[in-house]
Amino acid sequence: MASSDAAALIPPFAGVERGLGRSLRDYLSMLRWHLAGIRLWIMLLSAVQVLAGVGFVLGISLFFRHIPTSAALFVSTGVPVINLLLVGLVFGPQVVAMQKNAGNYEYTRTLPVNRAVNAAAWATVCLAAGLPAMVISLVVAELRYGLDLQISPMIVPAVLLTSFAGTMIGYAIAHAIGNPMATQLISQLIVFVIFGFAPILYPISQMPGWLATLNWWFPFRQMAVMVRAALTPMPGSPVGTAYLVVGVWAVVSAGLAAWALGRRQ
Amino acid sequence: MTAAVAATEPLGPLEPRRGLRSGFPYWVESLRCMFRYDWGRLRQWVPMTVVIQTCMGAGMVLMYGFFYPQITPERALFIATGAPTLSLIPLGFVMVPNGVMQEKLGGTFDYVWSLPVRRSAQIASTFTLYTLMALPGTVLALLVATWRYGVHLSVSPLLLPAVLLCAVMAVTVGYGMALLIPNPLVTNVIVNALIFVVLLFSPIVYPASQLPGWLFDVHRVLPFESMAQVMRAGLSTGLATDVGLSFAVLGAWTLAGCAAAAWVVGRRH
Repeated sequence: MASSDAAALIPPFAGVERGLGRSLRDYLSMLRWHLAGIRLWIMLLSAVQVLAGVGFVLGISLFFRHIPTSAALFVSTGVPVINLLLVGLVFGPQVVAMQKNAGNYEYTRTLPVNRAVNAAAWATVCLAAGLPAMVISLVVAELRYGLDLQISPMIVPAVLLTSFAGTMIGYAIAHAIGNPMATQLISQLIVFVIFGFAPILYPISQMPGWLATLNWWFPFRQMAVMVRAALTPMPGSPVGTAYLVVGVWAVVSAGLAAWALGRRQ
Repeated sequence: MTAAVAATEPLGPLEPRRGLRSGFPYWVESLRCMFRYDWGRLRQWVPMTVVIQTCMGAGMVLMYGFFYPQITPERALFIATGAPTLSLIPLGFVMVPNGVMQEKLGGTFDYVWSLPVRRSAQIASTFTLYTLMALPGTVLALLVATWRYGVHLSVSPLLLPAVLLCAVMAVTVGYGMALLIPNPLVTNVIVNALIFVVLLFSPIVYPASQLPGWLFDVHRVLPFESMAQVMRAGLSTGLATDVGLSFAVLGAWTLAGCAAAAWVVGRRH
């Protein structure tokens, strides 16, 4: 009886805090949370980003006796897309799969934070992890090949949408797929696809026709079209379609993730 | 109850075995037992290994093709003859170290070491089984590559020692590396970084003459170009000549891998 008397002394919450101020504070807390989580991996992530970005920019020239300017230009303007996608699309799902295996996934779900705010914080971290790598890759490409890059203001929406869509697709793969093994397998498959089987690093005309058609429906080629159009004056596919396709993928993936996170277990 | 106990013959005290078992027949017997033990453990992974290896080898062969605006017959031949090497490298340098890592984390590794068989027999069994597991995927990757690029290969008797030596080299070096590095997570990082560098910066699907001078020299010491060279010599005429040095390089790496494994295995904890 004494214990229930003691419990009665603890005052209950004076009501649930809501509103913009609360969201902003949660956003900052979750930003710190994700940054602290990523801190363990920072060395590995930097190495992977540099290898994937600078490595490809420099390595591609070895494939040719004399590398054609168009091939150099395609790789140099495609590598930023890969840099933007690696953390949100590939690394994120793997971390969530590990958390599910280790059992701390449930814990993170119990945090008293709005899930959209949490997703926004994670998207910010992914963007911040991709941007420096992207800039370094572009600088190395410029130094190595002396390309005629003309960066237009459209780079801002292109980079933001690419990073956001990649992160949301990764979020959906991580949360909407129950089996962590499947999540890991899919994210490894995606690595293969973004490097070799989506026309990010080379022109679409070098693929077989059916694969090119298939790629029209997938977001990776369209992301490359958006980013490339903002980096070079090269005429390419209509950019409007690319924004539309990537936008649809982002919204649908975010919806899937929200559904998976919002339902009761 | 008492009757049941009384009915059994009273057991004499356990006698220790007289003398240690040793000698070549005992080693062969150990090897046979280890084959059975390892095969029982590894056979569930055989289909997956073959599938992954074929996909990696064939997938990369297709991928390299997409990067070229035109695929000349010479380029096609280089890419197709690079396929077996491309499927062996992930097996030896990623899957074998990962397997060792899993065994270390799961405790199987220490258990196997505690078995009363010669450790050299344990290692010989593992190496042989992994090498045999490597072969089907390698052949399948080559078949996919020849089909995709429609190249005509002229297979010479040199192919058999070439494939075997490459497979043994990849397995021993991968295993030796995994044993030498005590922390499994470090092994994981190294193999993942290594595979990327190797697949991009090694003259496997393109001639070594396209490399800058210093990288060319580095690849005369590393095993990857030698693997591609001996495979090419077994699959085509005229593309790779004077492969004696390449065989010597591969042999040296195999010995180094065996020596590393022997040193770690022979040492006490």
